[in-house]
Amino acid sequence: MQKLQEYLRKDLWSPYIAGILLGIVGVLAVWISDSLLGASGAFETVAGFLGKKIAPSLFDNLYFNFIMPPGLTWGVVLFVGTILGGTLGALTSRTFKFRLFDDDKQWKRTFGPQLWKRYVLLFVGAVILEYGAGIAGGCTSGLAISGGMLLAPAAFLFIAAMFMSGILTALVIYRKRY
Amino acid sequence: MTLNYIVALVLGVLFGFSLNKAGLTRYNKIVNVFRFTDLSVLKFMMTALVVAMIGLYSLRGLGLITFPNIPGTYIAGNLVGGLIFGVWMALAGY
Repeated sequence: MQKLQEYLRKDLWSPYIAGILLGIVGVLAVWISDSLLGASGAFETVAGFLGKKIAPSLFDNLYFNFIMPPGLTWGVVLFVGTILGGTLGALTSRTFKFRLFDDDKQWKRTFGPQLWKRYVLLFVGAVILEYGAGIAGGCTSGLAISGGMLLAPAAFLFIAAMFMSGILTALVIYRKRY
Repeated sequence: MTLNYIVALVLGVLFGFSLNKAGLTRYNKIVNVFRFTDLSVLKFMMTALVVAMIGLYSLRGLGLITFPNIPGTYIAGNLVGGLIFGVWMALAGY
């Protein structure tokens, strides 16, 4: 029991232990709720909900009506829980703090110390990332992990493509330090 | 219905907790997997996949669960989406 408590307080777990936990959560999601874990879908349902209030004609399309219908879905509640869980993780390891993304040493070494670059990259990146997830039908969690555990071919195509472009991008950015 | 939301919240907390403890909330963990200098992301993802595959297929074999609709296969869509996703995952780190 003492050991378990100490382990819960550790900042970084062995990825294998954390992976086992996620695997069990994935099984429980299908078993209890008949749903799949995912993060990017929640953004789209919330965006659809807000969009239909603000600009109904713009959001009255096939995607927001049928593929990602707006509303308080299981995925949105899951996403709220995910944020709480991440906070809980940081609290238990006493690493919780509010930060402005100004302490990524590796990022600064690569892109320079200017903070605005980080913000622009994060914002633009998030938009394009979500768009990519929309095209593929899910993100790392919703498609690659949740789809993969059901042996969905889409998940493995996505993983292959994601690593292919990710490795190439890292190669271009880091060049000699690769 | 309410119960289903509570389940979602609890599973969400565990999901976020495991992501945080695996260090996937950090820029360097995400980008270093693409540089092959820190393979935590892969170890984490693949362990989760293997555990969940074994669990799900055993439960289905025992007749305890039926699978939900699996994510659709659109070869071009999955590949193009994945390519876009990977670029920005390596750039922004999430």
